Amino acid sequence: MSEQDARVTQLQQQQALMTAALIAALEGRWQGAGSVEAYLYALDPTLQGQLIPDPPVLSS
Amino acid sequence: MELDQLDQQQALLTDSLRKMLEGQWTGFPSLEANVLALDPGVELAPRPPVLESEAGPPAPSGWWADYNPNEGMPRQAYSWSCSACALAWVLRATQLDPNASEQSCIDAIGYPQNINPTYGLMDGSGSQLRRVVGDYGVTTGQAWLNYDTCYATFADTTGMMSGGAWYHWVAVRGQDGGNLWIANSAPGYQGVYDTLTRSQFNALGPFSVVWLLH
Repeated sequence: MSEQDARVTQLQQQQALMTAALIAALEGRWQGAGSVEAYLYALDPTLQGQLIPDPPVLSS
Repeated sequence: MELDQLDQQQALLTDSLRKMLEGQWTGFPSLEANVLALDPGVELAPRPPVLESEAGPPAPSGWWADYNPNEGMPRQAYSWSCSACALAWVLRATQLDPNASEQSCIDAIGYPQNINPTYGLMDGSGSQLRRVVGDYGVTTGQAWLNYDTCYATFADTTGMMSGGAWYHWVAVRGQDGGNLWIANSAPGYQGVYDTLTRSQFNALGPFSVVWLLH
């Protein structure tokens, strides 16, 4: 696999994680399993221990 | 190069998620600022949500209100009873059963059909641990998780987990910096004491993780 192919593959994986994170946000899952926070760690593991969550108040 | 631009956009999108999670919706830096960087021509009319820091977090209820992550963890009496110790810790720490013990949990899991000296816990996924917690009216989840998901899961719950290469169950107190904070009935086994790092997690897995819902 060429370097360009590898970068495209990585971008595709990141886009899939982004999509999953947006779904989690839409469904109000900000922290915990399958949450925006979890997908952020998958996108950028260096964020572990760095985030200070202040999520929206959910309406239901 | 187009790929460089896509990488930069991806980084901005990831940072945008962080801004949302951390409640930075407008101003600078913020989600709004990132969107403007991604699309300078866009016209925005932000309506940011009310944040937990403004409204106050929802009051904990049920076992979560009573949860004590500092609950003590005695050393296991037998070489095969780590899962019972982890279960007992969860039941005590959540106050679901303040008197839970290694022996009472061996009995509750089911000796010798579900836990025994030859194999330890028979079902390595933790189905019997989930059944016992369920007997207290608490719903659990279970999955084979990677480190990132496991770490995020235990931001606001407790549970138990076992590594396939570790062959050892522990309870999870929560997070400790970037590590998992565990209640370990065999401190020092395979070099693990009170925390589990990413590298230890990856070396000792795959991990079956059971977590309590609240």
